[in-house]
Amino acid sequence: MQYLLQLLISGLAIGAIYGLIAMGFAVIYKSTGLVNFAQGEMTMITAYIAWTISTTVSGNVVVVSLGAILGAILLGLVIERVVMRPMLGEPVFATVMVTIGLAVILRSAINFIWDAYPHSLDVGMGREIVRVGNIGVRTGQIAVIVTLLALLAAIWAFFRYSKIGVAMRAVAADDRTALLMGISATRVHALAWAASSVIAGIGGVFFALSYDLSPAMFQLGLKAFPATILGGLDAVLGSGLGGLLIGITENLAGGYIGSGMKEVAGFAMIIVVLMIRPFGIFGQRDIERV
Amino acid sequence: MAIATQASSAGPLAIAAQAPLLEFRNIRIVYDNAIEAIRDVSITVPEGGIVALLGANGAGKSTLLKAMSGILYTEEGVIENGDIRFRDQDVHHLSPDDLVRRGIVQVPEGRRLFAALTIDENLQMGGYTRTAADARERRDKVFALFPRLYERRDQIAGYMSGGEQQMLAIGRALMTDPVLLALDEPSLGLAPLIIDRIYDVIVRLRDELKMTVLLVEQNAQRALDIADYGYILETGRVVLDGTAKKLTSNEDVQEFYLGVSASGRKSLRDVKHYKRRKRWLS
Repeated sequence: MQYLLQLLISGLAIGAIYGLIAMGFAVIYKSTGLVNFAQGEMTMITAYIAWTISTTVSGNVVVVSLGAILGAILLGLVIERVVMRPMLGEPVFATVMVTIGLAVILRSAINFIWDAYPHSLDVGMGREIVRVGNIGVRTGQIAVIVTLLALLAAIWAFFRYSKIGVAMRAVAADDRTALLMGISATRVHALAWAASSVIAGIGGVFFALSYDLSPAMFQLGLKAFPATILGGLDAVLGSGLGGLLIGITENLAGGYIGSGMKEVAGFAMIIVVLMIRPFGIFGQRDIERV
Repeated sequence: MAIATQASSAGPLAIAAQAPLLEFRNIRIVYDNAIEAIRDVSITVPEGGIVALLGANGAGKSTLLKAMSGILYTEEGVIENGDIRFRDQDVHHLSPDDLVRRGIVQVPEGRRLFAALTIDENLQMGGYTRTAADARERRDKVFALFPRLYERRDQIAGYMSGGEQQMLAIGRALMTDPVLLALDEPSLGLAPLIIDRIYDVIVRLRDELKMTVLLVEQNAQRALDIADYGYILETGRVVLDGTAKKLTSNEDVQEFYLGVSASGRKSLRDVKHYKRRKRWLS
């Protein structure tokens, strides 16, 4: 029982990280109709920015978080302006290929700008172990789960109630008609890229906090992508929950079946789920009658 | 022969005594650097009236509306010549949101609602350029005009009937607080009874709200019934224009667009296309 709980808790914690990155995927898909294959790389860069701030400016939690958020916003805006905006109106396939190219470039950028060695991100907290009953949990793990839940609630409210949130959905549905209503699609896209970069970046920083930074961190994107597919590419909340599901499945499979299964379990689950619900668990079926 | 002299690029002299609200002047539009969709078209829309833009499929009606709204670039279309003037200012280089803020809006062909959004959210998007308080006020007016939308405001727009969708599309455009409302084939795919209701609303917009309407239609009969002035477009140029009354009584319009002729009702298929062209332009 204790073993199971321990697996569940750490599954939830890593799942929350996948969930945050998966939400990054979904935010971009929902407002631009694109799958951003550079999401994992953007996540990694944000984590490296946080590390740089912690080693050069200050290791204070507040400074590092604010700096990382600002860095992530800037990263998202620059990518949107320089790489994605010229692709506006081009076929979706070509645009998605551009994100794959961008992914490779960003991955190598880690080696150019930083280095290939692992580093640990130290902000003076997050690694202490708290005992709940007889289960040990790191404070960083609790923090990431709480952060995911808080962001889920905030984003749900954002898309439902804020004018700009509704506009993001409108642009995704039909960007030309959105233009006719005076909604500037480019501004909405820029916002989506910035928001996605921040949300995924938070996941990346939490990952670095618990597991160290390395140039292999981009693989988080490969883990989070299934979570998005599972939850539904157009479902931001579903993607967050999909991350938790993948995290738990992975951990249980790794703990009970064998560590080799850990890598496979998430993908195996996706195949099964997609056979039953091709648009994801929380995804929206297209409205046929228009 | 008499027709050719009627078609003039000077515009409707009778109504254009005051400066027109919107003017296309000698405009030429090319798609993909190759296809000439509009050649040398001049159209004048005076304030406070309904101007009908008639013509068959592919005549270039929607292209003119896209140029008006500044979205030609999304289809690789370019205005090569001429200009579009709104309130005596050249506006053809302005961005779509700029044009909306100035009071030019269109209800696109096929309605193009945000299908997955609720009715209320669709209206909210129409009011995107307005302040929150202004948008609320306008929304109440739209609900007063279309009580049906109020009843169903929290439902998903994509699930409404065709007539309701057209009402919502018009309501959404009205949210922008337009001076000039362009409608691209509002009768498309609707039952005759529903078309009557939509047309009643268009007339009310002109008469009660003093709105200027540019009405693009294939359904010439309906459009000329309520319009003040009309233009007939064929393969990218204006072949005829005149007051609605004059167009309705024109023999060729009756034959080609209203489906009546001296020898009784007649199908369009009986008329060879080249013959029609010759007749207009000779």
